[in-house]
Amino acid sequence: MSIKAYESDTRPDWCPGCGDFGVLAAVKDALATLNIPPHNVVISSGIGCSSNFPGFIRTYGFHGLHGRPIPVAIGMKDANPNLTVLVTAGDGDEYGIGFNHMIHAARRNDDIKVIVMNNEIYGLTTGQLSPTSRLKQVTKTSPSGSIIYPLNPLAALIGDGATFVARGFSGQPKHLSMLIQEAIKHRGFALVDVLSPCVTWYDIYDEVRKLMYKLEDKGHNPADFYAAMKAAKDEERLPLGIFYRDETKPSFQEMLKEQIGDGRWASKSVTPLNSETLRELEYEFS
Amino acid sequence: MQEVKDITIRLGAAAGDGIQSAGEILAKLLSRSGTYISTFNGNQSAIRGGHVWFHVHAGTHPVYSMGYGVDYLLPFTQLAYDEHYSSVNKGGTIIYDPSAVTARDLGADISQIKSPFLATALKYDKYPIMKNTVAVAEVAALIGLGFDVVEETITSQFAKKPEIAKKNVEAAKEGYGFGVQAGVRKALKYSDKRLPFLHANYTFSIGAVAAGCRFYAAYPMSPASPIVHWMTAHAKKLGITVFLGEDEISVMNATIGAAHAGARAMCATSGGGFALMQEAVGEAAMTETPVVVVNVMRTGPSTGLPTKTSQGDLNMMLGISQDDFPRAIFAPRNAPDAYDIAVRSFDIAERYQIPVMVLLDFQIADGGYMTIDHDFKPVDINRGKLLNSDGTDKELHNGTWFRRYQLTPDNISPRSLPGTPDMMYVAKTDEHDEWGHDLSDVLAGLKESVLMREKMQEKRMKKMEQLKAEMKAPELVGQTKADLTIVSWGSSANPVREAMEVMNSSGLKINALEFSDIYPLNTQAVVPLLKSAERLMIVEANYTSQFGGLLRKETGIDIKDALLKYNGEPIYPVEVERMVRNIMVKEVESHVH
Repeated sequence: MSIKAYESDTRPDWCPGCGDFGVLAAVKDALATLNIPPHNVVISSGIGCSSNFPGFIRTYGFHGLHGRPIPVAIGMKDANPNLTVLVTAGDGDEYGIGFNHMIHAARRNDDIKVIVMNNEIYGLTTGQLSPTSRLKQVTKTSPSGSIIYPLNPLAALIGDGATFVARGFSGQPKHLSMLIQEAIKHRGFALVDVLSPCVTWYDIYDEVRKLMYKLEDKGHNPADFYAAMKAAKDEERLPLGIFYRDETKPSFQEMLKEQIGDGRWASKSVTPLNSETLRELEYEFS
Repeated sequence: MQEVKDITIRLGAAAGDGIQSAGEILAKLLSRSGTYISTFNGNQSAIRGGHVWFHVHAGTHPVYSMGYGVDYLLPFTQLAYDEHYSSVNKGGTIIYDPSAVTARDLGADISQIKSPFLATALKYDKYPIMKNTVAVAEVAALIGLGFDVVEETITSQFAKKPEIAKKNVEAAKEGYGFGVQAGVRKALKYSDKRLPFLHANYTFSIGAVAAGCRFYAAYPMSPASPIVHWMTAHAKKLGITVFLGEDEISVMNATIGAAHAGARAMCATSGGGFALMQEAVGEAAMTETPVVVVNVMRTGPSTGLPTKTSQGDLNMMLGISQDDFPRAIFAPRNAPDAYDIAVRSFDIAERYQIPVMVLLDFQIADGGYMTIDHDFKPVDINRGKLLNSDGTDKELHNGTWFRRYQLTPDNISPRSLPGTPDMMYVAKTDEHDEWGHDLSDVLAGLKESVLMREKMQEKRMKKMEQLKAEMKAPELVGQTKADLTIVSWGSSANPVREAMEVMNSSGLKINALEFSDIYPLNTQAVVPLLKSAERLMIVEANYTSQFGGLLRKETGIDIKDALLKYNGEPIYPVEVERMVRNIMVKEVESHVH
């Protein structure tokens, strides 16, 4: 599939140099490489700079409320599991207001792929603390330096039972595309945390480049839970790559298929009941 | 023996004593004997202890509510006796076990029969639970039912446990014997016709699935939980996908996601859960995603009284979420109504691409079964402007996007589903143009965007005009010409109907207007009906007469006489009658002076 197939008519309104451009390029590359036609993809997003994502790529999309792209995505996947369902949103959406949904989507192993453009700041609201902002970070809402500890989303999700947890960097779109491809191929829930710096409010490009290293270069085994947790807790440096992957757990949708039967998806079954079934249901209570 | 047209039976005990299943057995006995029933479950938010009661009203003609007073009272505890003896009608009977209850002197008008429920039950089992069976069987004899229906019902109730069934039948035989000894009292005319009985949570669920809904989302909340129980119980057989969300926010958003992907999708909760859903209700309207949301009302703001009834959430539905957007609100009157409204809700949601909100309440949905005397009809599904073809129509395609929010003469746009080639679009909760481009960011405030915002808001809101015309007028029940017209909506129609029948047979001239299509109000049909009434009175279960307020706002007609009940208990027909007689007497007095 050519990347052109995913070309939108709308130019992103992100600041020049914004990390999200790299993420957009990586998502397109991943979908094209995996040969997924645009009409079989739905992207669910929330509110914030990064959540404008669906308008900038030609697939189906749902640009919804702040913090709620995950439940919308689950509803879509449950109703039509033939769709490739992605969530693209920022750290405010996914690690703040909507983190509850992330924890439970991971626990259910819902077959959705969550790509978080993590810039450690609230950008569109002009630079306030986010859940991943660091201790002592100076922002509009922490003029004397933050006194709130940051969330470690990778450790939290690995601990929660997520079956695929990875981190990429928007400055490395090829590597990021590989991570997204692996996430899409994964059986169930996947989190791809992407360090996607905000050039306007919190430019950490140089810092990321200085501290990053790739887990695959260090012989990391993503099947090893404790090694994954250790890597996730490496807060001195910035490991990139697949931290944890468990292909043994069936996804919610696989188990759902077993219970209700293949092909009986809610989107395919908008059909009436016949009078015999209706009568049977009515007389269950008699 | 006295043959009557209706009887009322009430059982009272502590939570965990099995009173609900005893009540259900009683309901079955009557339903399998050709009578109509209406029940009420006076339960508590407790698993053990406290006080719970179960009320059955049965008649040879359709019954809608609790009837008048209590003909047979079965108090299993002293508290149950003390709480309910004063409701027993003259000529009524109290059947009690002296080992649990000390009776008062109630005079000669009420018979009190002593029966050893507990001792009898303990003859057959080491646990006391079968005392319910003994008591129910005794009542069956007192109301003139044959033992065959008792035996058949108990056997089918414990079909999976034949040993237990056998013990229960033996205990029932003894209980039935006590009744035979006491003699048949008030009895109905019975037949072998078997009628189903359901509450509105179940009939709404059946209606939803009948209308093609196969996606249901919920977070458990009383009194909406029976819907999720029904859906999960039938998931395998009917192919229903159930999303069990972590909160009502996820529930509503997942419902929207499923609808966006092409399912007919629904969720339900009670007021507190609805409060959490409110932002997403606006999201459904803005993205023009068809969803059906049910609010099974309970009493009180905040967590209130979880197991008690109310009609206090209408204002919330009318004003939910920010700014103006199109919505439809329905309030089925009872279980049979709820099936029809479920069917219409899905069609209206999809044809108008709007959120449809449905108000049920504890009394009709969780707390009360009602006989359904007709078969549910299969449904013709109308999915409105849903396109299944690919985007070859140039007018509907700009080379990139499908024109999802096209401005059309009827203000309803074509819709495509994810998975359809070349019909891609982004559903937008931000304001958008016809192609789904954001007007909220770099285009905000530009002349063209300002104009487009106006057009989009008008397009969405104008859908209401067409919808308004298809909203049904209230049903006029009773004679066309009356001295007093009682207005009700949703469940308050039921006690009004029963009171009206009694009052009209005593010579008064009363009729009723029962609303179930609440918003948008079809004013063209409603205004003449209200204006032609000699005098109006309204009955609803809230403090401020919320529906009266809506009528005033939409029609300018102010109904001053209102029976408003907000203590959590159901509205009784006798309360309606008392209010009516009060008004009519005043009327007479004012003519005299």
